[in-house]
Amino acid sequence: MVKKEESMAAIKVITGNSAAAYGAMLCRPEVVAMYPITPQTEVVEELSRFHAEGRLEAEMVEVEGENSAMNIVTAASAAGARVFTATSSYGLVFMYDALLQTAGYRVPVVMVIANRETPGITGVSAGQQDMISTRDSGWISLVASNCQEILDSVIMAYRLAEDSEVQLPVMVNYDGFYLSFLAEKVEIPSREKVDAFLSPLKNQPPRPVLVPGKPAGFGTHGLLEGYIELRYKHFAALERAKGKFEDIDRLFGKHFGRSYGGQVDAYRTDDAEIVLVAAGSVTGTAQRVVDLQREKGVKIGLVRLRMFRPFPRERLAQVLKGKKAIGVIDRSICFGWNCGPIFMEIRALTPEIGPIPMQSFICGMANMDVSTYQIDRMVELVQSASAGNEYQEVRWISMEE
Amino acid sequence: MATKKGKLSKVFDYFSDQDPFAPGVSCCAGCPLELALRFMGKVLGRKDMVITGTPGCANPVLTGQNVGAWHTLTSYGTLMTSAASNATGLSRYYRKIGQDATVVCFNGDGCAADIGFQNLSGAAERNEKFIYICYDNEGYMNTGVQRSSTTPAGARTATTPVGPMRRGKPTRRKNLALLMAMHWIPYAATATLSHLEDFAEKLVKAKQKKEEGLSFIHIFCPCPTGWGVPSDIAIELCRTAVRTNYFPLWEAENGIVRITHEVKKPRPVSEYLNLVKKFSHMTPEEQQVVQEGIDFDYAFLTHLAKFRR
Amino acid sequence: MYEVRFHGRGGQGAVVASRVLANAFVREGKFGSAFPMFGFERRGVPVTAYGRYDDKPILEKTQIYEPHCLIVLDPSQSKTPGVYEGLRKGGVLILNSPKEPTTKPHENLAVAGLANADKIAMEEIGMAAPNICMLGVLAAATGWIKLESILAGLEDYFEDKKLEGNRRCAERGFKEINIVRY
Repeated sequence: MVKKEESMAAIKVITGNSAAAYGAMLCRPEVVAMYPITPQTEVVEELSRFHAEGRLEAEMVEVEGENSAMNIVTAASAAGARVFTATSSYGLVFMYDALLQTAGYRVPVVMVIANRETPGITGVSAGQQDMISTRDSGWISLVASNCQEILDSVIMAYRLAEDSEVQLPVMVNYDGFYLSFLAEKVEIPSREKVDAFLSPLKNQPPRPVLVPGKPAGFGTHGLLEGYIELRYKHFAALERAKGKFEDIDRLFGKHFGRSYGGQVDAYRTDDAEIVLVAAGSVTGTAQRVVDLQREKGVKIGLVRLRMFRPFPRERLAQVLKGKKAIGVIDRSICFGWNCGPIFMEIRALTPEIGPIPMQSFICGMANMDVSTYQIDRMVELVQSASAGNEYQEVRWISMEE
Repeated sequence: MATKKGKLSKVFDYFSDQDPFAPGVSCCAGCPLELALRFMGKVLGRKDMVITGTPGCANPVLTGQNVGAWHTLTSYGTLMTSAASNATGLSRYYRKIGQDATVVCFNGDGCAADIGFQNLSGAAERNEKFIYICYDNEGYMNTGVQRSSTTPAGARTATTPVGPMRRGKPTRRKNLALLMAMHWIPYAATATLSHLEDFAEKLVKAKQKKEEGLSFIHIFCPCPTGWGVPSDIAIELCRTAVRTNYFPLWEAENGIVRITHEVKKPRPVSEYLNLVKKFSHMTPEEQQVVQEGIDFDYAFLTHLAKFRR
Repeated sequence: MYEVRFHGRGGQGAVVASRVLANAFVREGKFGSAFPMFGFERRGVPVTAYGRYDDKPILEKTQIYEPHCLIVLDPSQSKTPGVYEGLRKGGVLILNSPKEPTTKPHENLAVAGLANADKIAMEEIGMAAPNICMLGVLAAATGWIKLESILAGLEDYFEDKKLEGNRRCAERGFKEINIVRY
């Protein structure tokens, strides 16, 4: 029973969580696992509502814990289902053993994460530590920066995950609180359009699935070279995901009229001398600062990371090469490296881009705001470094106020 | 085992399929687990089965190696933490698309009672539609005989040794089968390898009942290697366990208990304990404590068995 | 762009108000971006929500430090200096109160729009939920948004009696406004 609104695109003012739920609903998942956790709870409530209203024909499983949520969708995916779940921080790390399984089993699970601080210090607040703590899980990891992008990224995530040359699970990250509870204008595409965008997936060679009675299995014991072969294939698939994501973003643009630049959105970087690098909601604020600084004559650009795993090495190297100084904004920390995690990964590009002065700005943890004033300060510091002055490599900007 | 007149015994009547397992699997000599696997395979049949297995004694048998396997079943490997949740995902999806499926979890007690209990309880509460079989060898045998929550009080294991400071496992075992029955699932039962007809009936019933919700079977499955028992008396041990009420055979439908094998004159539990090396350190007083525990458990069970709506 | 800070206590509906306002702007083909406050409470001032409203896309995802407008839902808060922190020159105050402030609360305040929203809400919806009424006051005091746009968007947030009641609240806020110019 398709409600009238779904045969046409609708403009609504909805939160990031709601946008995630709409994105998932439109892609018609068949098995959905639900468990509440701040700041994501609205996602599972919306999905339940869609189901009750007949707009989502899925098996809804109200699980007893996030670990079960991930296992349930993984197994259902292995049996051939399109699936969906959502979590955050503590729930994400509770799923950790399952996450590794999902990626290793090469099943196209899609999950959204409303980023929040991880355990260690009790924190019910925004931060990207949970995204960072699962970098090595083998999943594809995307980051959205506004509510429209959340919805669009979920649709793109299915297209990417189920591509027969990828076949990997995808997590879509968005900042808890600053995006999960932010209500803004979102265009909700029509069902027809989403169905059409995902329909090419049906023309692919079918993926291996578990059929009762057919002597085949998942979870084989990898022995010696057998293990290495499977690991290598996984590794190679992640690399392929980069190019695929570029294609999908372009196709999305043609189909829906919105595209985001692929792995990396390079804003006013062509003639920029200094550049800020960031991921998530802070990029919106940073973009505004870039525009204002440009009005003052500062040659500054912004690199917005949209894909975090696989790490968009080639695109970043292309964009950052030749710049005079770089500032990297991190809403998390890299334990053991005395800097922000995204900074550390950008720093690893030095062989490709040459020794460029780079600064790590740690801020925005535990719901602390990243204000335009803080970003202006970062621009000042990066400018100073670009002029050849000495600089401090790591600054905890939130604490300097 | 043909009778004198050449007719097949009743047990064979339960087989719906041939043994799906190849000969020469890696179970220890005399391991009842191997019998349980082959038996279950023959009774339930391959046609619509998906079997999930976790790390444990059954793992080398159930899980493939690279691209080969010791069986022709459809199989899915899970972690110890997640057998029931994976089975939920499978059974829900198959049901949604109208695919005939009997999803069977086949796990040890370490998984079912300890590390995998949370999601088992969750699946039972939601009344998911699959069969969960726990083979109880009273410990983590695959990793070298460490205690689990179904290890009985007083047992010697690698993590509950006997010495001047301690006398084996200090606490009583969890009654896992009763716990599962108290989730009011359509079917919960105990079974063992010395009473194959009883076991077969329960497997068939479990398959029927899983159309309504979760079916749980708890198999008493001694580990000759780990318990210090000669490998040729494993079945005898099962029979003694039943005869002494150490392991009563019962079933429960939605929590209503029925004893399926009445033991009219239970033998003293010392007959059972004396067969097993892990209890060999016990004094007569300690054996008496075990007897009191067994008597209590059985009285509790029979009391429950009297309850009718 | 208008940066609006909403101050209120739990249950007064500040978060909903910030969203309804965003909805109204979007219905006019413009943009709105609203989110609840989370973080340290500064100087004991309950801040419940932030909203940015513009005819161009809104990029900032940060808290509001220099508001153009304050919407204060609890009469008792009007006397707390912290409420007015950062108010820009030409600032607007939309206040739920039957009485005008006795002194000008902040040097940058140019316009105050007042209404007895608690009384209006009690009469129209049977609850002291002044939020939607205050939006009517805002429309009248500033002209930033049309009353019709606010009314049209209410159906996304309320149903049946509550919808009609809140519509009346907004209309009465618009009509019964007491404007003070400084």
